[in-house]
Amino acid sequence: MKRRLLLTLLVAVLVAAVAGLSLEQVPGLGGQESSKHSPNNGEKVHLQGEGSSFLFPQIQAWSEALRERHPWMAVSYNPTGSGSGQSALLSGVVDFAGSDPPLSRAAWEQLRGRVLQMPVVIGMVAVVYNLPGVGELRLDGWTLARIFLGEVEYWDDDAIRRLNPGVELPHERIIVVYRSDSSGTTEVLTLFLHKSAPLVWGEQLVGKSVDWPVDQTGRGVGAKGNQGVLETVLRTRYSIGYVEYAYALDSNVGVARVMNSAGNYIAPTPQAALEAARAALGSIPDSPLGDWSEAFDAIVYAPGEGSYPLTSWSFLLFHSIYPGEDKARAVRAFIEWVNTEGQENIVEGYVPIPPEVRQVNLRALDHVEAG
Amino acid sequence: MPDIRRVKERLFLALVSLLALAAVAPLFHILATLALRGLGAIVEAGPGFFTQAPAAPGSGELGGIGPALLGTVWLGLVSALLGVPLAVLTGVFIVEYRGSLLAGLARLSTSSLVEVPTVLIGMLVFLLIVKPMGHYSILAGAVAVSLVMLPYTVSYVERALSQVPHTYREAGYAMGMTRSQVAYRVAVAIARRGVAAGVLVGVSKALSETAPLLFTLGSARGVYPTSPGSLLEPGDAVPLLIFQLAQTPYENWQELAWGAGLVLTLLVLLLFTLVKLLVREVRV
Repeated sequence: MKRRLLLTLLVAVLVAAVAGLSLEQVPGLGGQESSKHSPNNGEKVHLQGEGSSFLFPQIQAWSEALRERHPWMAVSYNPTGSGSGQSALLSGVVDFAGSDPPLSRAAWEQLRGRVLQMPVVIGMVAVVYNLPGVGELRLDGWTLARIFLGEVEYWDDDAIRRLNPGVELPHERIIVVYRSDSSGTTEVLTLFLHKSAPLVWGEQLVGKSVDWPVDQTGRGVGAKGNQGVLETVLRTRYSIGYVEYAYALDSNVGVARVMNSAGNYIAPTPQAALEAARAALGSIPDSPLGDWSEAFDAIVYAPGEGSYPLTSWSFLLFHSIYPGEDKARAVRAFIEWVNTEGQENIVEGYVPIPPEVRQVNLRALDHVEAG
Repeated sequence: MPDIRRVKERLFLALVSLLALAAVAPLFHILATLALRGLGAIVEAGPGFFTQAPAAPGSGELGGIGPALLGTVWLGLVSALLGVPLAVLTGVFIVEYRGSLLAGLARLSTSSLVEVPTVLIGMLVFLLIVKPMGHYSILAGAVAVSLVMLPYTVSYVERALSQVPHTYREAGYAMGMTRSQVAYRVAVAIARRGVAAGVLVGVSKALSETAPLLFTLGSARGVYPTSPGSLLEPGDAVPLLIFQLAQTPYENWQELAWGAGLVLTLLVLLLFTLVKLLVREVRV
């Protein structure tokens, strides 16, 4: 008898809970005071994005801030990787994609006019190392390429000593830590190695995941994700690796100064990234409908006295036609906000885009339509 | 002179206990770390931990896991609603209609479902539900996790029913019961604790899975799914939140993930304790 009573009680509580929660949805009865600002009859417009995990924290921060600015819309982002983001956008499952590289030229040709692309933040790849007792380390593309090839075996190799006069380098074998998973970070590093030392680092070694030649020497170690590479470097004495700048920021790992195309050794800083972006402005198209495939290449190892050579754009991709005016309006509001106020709401580790790029991006507002 | 055999036995005992300790030590290490760091995060965030959305990365504030917690509750409810009847019926069918070709097939296919990587189940649901619907949804996530829970619940139900002595079924037949009446009135009624344990194991599996949600749920981290209507909208879940926030370099997000990890672990531990209690009593 007692058990039956308990069961009835449980059901009653459940029903009450569900009913209470649904009541909250009725405008005027609770929650949702925002509905009066809404142009959509109180119905929230949901924008779903997917793609680059590098962009994820930044988009999440934007989504939070947007909730206050435009309470009638909600932005969600599923960080599954640039590749899945692009294909999810093209299959129509998401409203926008985050991608470290823009569409390839071939893909862009095929989609001409239907997809808008815009860089929304700048990222940097930091070359990190674990060398007890060594404060500052300078490296150039040629030496770095030979380290990642496995040709430079010891830290006190002439190639490294020559770049670091006065630094006490240990006679220890170099352990090279690389990303075992496919990653835009690897693409930026390998593109830099190829552009700065084309004779040593061939084009076949450029990409999201590559067959690391250093593996054949037994001194290569793969690690998953930026976090994995950082932890492996921190744990492994005499190792070198590469991570997104944000990961190196608050950790006590060594960060190398890398030689840029002007011959200066530059540490990753927001100013140095901005300078690289400015130097690469000539390569960007004048519209979000244009071909951005070369822009990604141009910002890596960009000219300029103070440019950080391992700099990259990160892109958002949108459709040009959305089902329904609500969606189109939300997309326009999102694009406008990201390229204005959003650029002042940048998470530590990312760098805002220069005003010139914002102007180009804002031209997208004329191309987003309901259809 | 000491008894050499006794010494040997003592030595053996010491060795075995030491090895057993070594085997469970990592588990306790994980639990202790989780409890310490998770509790720290929850205390720091205050009661808002259970209601708010995560704060912006690197902001120093924590926020909370409210939407994800709500999403996990929905996932548990809906996947139980979808998966439990299917799993229990399948289990009953496999045991009570043993010998029929279809039952053998059902048994083979559910047991091989365990071997399918759960991320593939997520992809399947992506193709079957997400794509036709045109967007992610809690419903799609629930379908994916209910597929994941299916083989676990089925095998529990199967085991529970197999333990019911055959004489009880014969008694049922002797009273003129039909086959289905024997299955439900006799076998399931006797094995109900085992069946309930299977349901709880399935639900705890559904609550703790990440991979099937990657391509089905949508990681909608700032929206509260408060009404049944939001089942058709994108949502979030606690394991997905842990997986995604823990990989970022931002300390406040990592802390949030620790707190969420503790909550999820306690939830699953609670379910497993219930299972243990249920299963033990059936044997007494």
